[in-house]
Amino acid sequence: MTPDVPGPGADPPSDASERIRYLDDVMAEIDAEVRRRRASGDLPAGLEAELDELFLEFSPVGLQGRARLRETLALVDGSAYVDIAVPTASNKAVGSYVKRLIRKGLGWYMNFVVAQIVKFAWSVSRMFHVVVDHVEALEAAVETHRSPDLPADAIPVPDPATAWWTAAAIEAVRGVPDRVLVADCGDGTLLGALCSAGVDAYGVDPSDLVLEPALARGLDVRSEGTIDHLRVVAGEALGGMVLTGSLQWLRPNEREQLLELLTTRLVVGGTLVLHSTTPEGWAASVSPVVRDLAPGRPLHAETWAHLLGSRGFAVADPVAGGGDRTLAHVGPEAADAGTVNSAIDVLNELLLGPTEYLVVATRER
Amino acid sequence: MTAVHQFVPALLPRDATGDHTVALRDALRSEGWESDIYVEAAHEELRDEAAYFEAYPGRARPGDVLLYQLGTSSPVAEFLLGREEPLVLDYHNVTPESYYVGWETHTSDKVALARRQVAALAPRAVLGIADSAFNARELADLGCPATEVVPILVDLDPDGAQVDQAERHRLAAQHGDATVLLFVGRLSPNKCHERLVGALWTYRRLYDPDARLHLVGPSVTPVYAAAVLAFAAELGLADAVQHRAGLTAGELAAWYEDADVFVCLSRHEGFCIPLLESMQAGTPIVAFDAGAVGETLGDAGLLLRSDRPATVAAAVDRVHRDRVLASRLVAAGHRRLEDFTAASTRRRFVEVLGRVADRTRVVA
Repeated sequence: MTPDVPGPGADPPSDASERIRYLDDVMAEIDAEVRRRRASGDLPAGLEAELDELFLEFSPVGLQGRARLRETLALVDGSAYVDIAVPTASNKAVGSYVKRLIRKGLGWYMNFVVAQIVKFAWSVSRMFHVVVDHVEALEAAVETHRSPDLPADAIPVPDPATAWWTAAAIEAVRGVPDRVLVADCGDGTLLGALCSAGVDAYGVDPSDLVLEPALARGLDVRSEGTIDHLRVVAGEALGGMVLTGSLQWLRPNEREQLLELLTTRLVVGGTLVLHSTTPEGWAASVSPVVRDLAPGRPLHAETWAHLLGSRGFAVADPVAGGGDRTLAHVGPEAADAGTVNSAIDVLNELLLGPTEYLVVATRER
Repeated sequence: MTAVHQFVPALLPRDATGDHTVALRDALRSEGWESDIYVEAAHEELRDEAAYFEAYPGRARPGDVLLYQLGTSSPVAEFLLGREEPLVLDYHNVTPESYYVGWETHTSDKVALARRQVAALAPRAVLGIADSAFNARELADLGCPATEVVPILVDLDPDGAQVDQAERHRLAAQHGDATVLLFVGRLSPNKCHERLVGALWTYRRLYDPDARLHLVGPSVTPVYAAAVLAFAAELGLADAVQHRAGLTAGELAAWYEDADVFVCLSRHEGFCIPLLESMQAGTPIVAFDAGAVGETLGDAGLLLRSDRPATVAAAVDRVHRDRVLASRLVAAGHRRLEDFTAASTRRRFVEVLGRVADRTRVVA
């Protein structure tokens, strides 16, 4: 036990504003204590994330696909056995004797009933095993129809440290009172910048390897895909989200799931920051193999604005940026300069121009 | 004569909505108004206090105002949608279904239905009465034309509840000097008991290795309750986390009084009566700012912006060690309770419902 500590003020504050200031001071000291504990190593990085993940092991919502089926089946198997050896320990002197007497006296009856219950339970368990085997066979068959996975290095990953949109993303979620999720947070560059800006941010990324630098910096990160993570986040638990990276590769059904999750996991008034490559920029930056095999395609900023608007988000005008492949006009001295520049304008508008965009939206309902 | 009749899905004893409904009926009758209770189901103890809701049409009179105690799904909602009388909603909030998805299908279906019923009733009502501004905003968002915030009627004795001293001594003997964290509320995913367990684990690691977590409340979502207790066992906290349900009022008062800190990490609360009970017991409060928790608590507790275990543990430690802070929070709690006295809440109900009844008479 630690010793008593004095509060920040010696006498009880008298009016309401003083009381609020006093509590603000206490909260600031508590935050400082947490930072001190983290810095001292008392709270290893990732410890809190490990607690969350451990709880998910006990929760039906934390298990996915085959793991969930097999885990549930193991629970059925485990509870199919009924123990008739009732405990006879007792705090009272004669209690144990009476309990043993009852157990002995009723043993033949309990045996008869329990044998039938166990037989029934095992039959049910066996039936579930058959069903699960069939489901797994079906899943294996469906797997063969999936799009092939792309090599990881085929996906261009922008560096958030130098990205044109990082400052705007930080500004959009600065001051958000609840937690902010950074999807596909990678090595934690953007996440670290958000935390430095006073945002209570954490990150997810499906790759353990990519996350190592973030873990080494003591950032709160979890090894999970964005959709899998959002599924287990409580409703209206997030004050903000920054989505980038794999967002542009989502299959149509995954995009629908993501949109559904966005609208339930963000608080009303919460901020969504969405960064993506334009379809044109994407087509120009990846190889023909990736273009042909990619399961999904990036959307235009206007499409995201439409999808989010239809789900109750107020969407600010998208901001374009990134590599600008705009063709420059030819000089007036060139032959047919006017005609050529008009053609260049058309090309710039249809095919070239900025390759990325940033959408900031606020959940209104 | 003014007549305000209440409708409630279930009238149960020792239940917040049930107690509120009966107390409000008594308050309205004491004003000389007619006021009866109509239910879908009533507990045996309260059977004589209420009539089946479908009996109302035979007793309806011009000028009646109907008041619906809304906190769950019920055929009563469909019945009221078909009535012509002015309808007032007394909204106690419905937990969003997202909290139950994956845990309990029937509960998530039930709350989804309740939310659909709220959405259908809100525009039809002449007034929405809400326990909190948080609940009032929900009603307004669903199209309720007017809302008033009036807290739930809770009869809290300012001198404290009668404590079961035998239970108090039993608890004290059980845990000795260990710090005791307490939360009171049904074991349901929106209450985030797993976060309390995580906070206890962190608190034991950093501050007091013998600390305990006492959880009081029914296991209304058994799968979730089992997961929380299994999680605690996995962390080696099986003996440190104690769960009880069905306590008498005196026993509950003993559990409050026995605790060092009341900790609430709920993600969704429409009002949170246990905060008031904790203030009454003089147990300092640490709570995560979600739903209506902040407005119910006021400055009578430490309101956390984060529910991460390290922050919760540090806040509990501070409240537990800093006696000046603890006594200020307790004093603020007693002041805060004055905003929720049964007498003032009764007056507000009579005033608000009186205005609706007056308008109804003018129109009639």
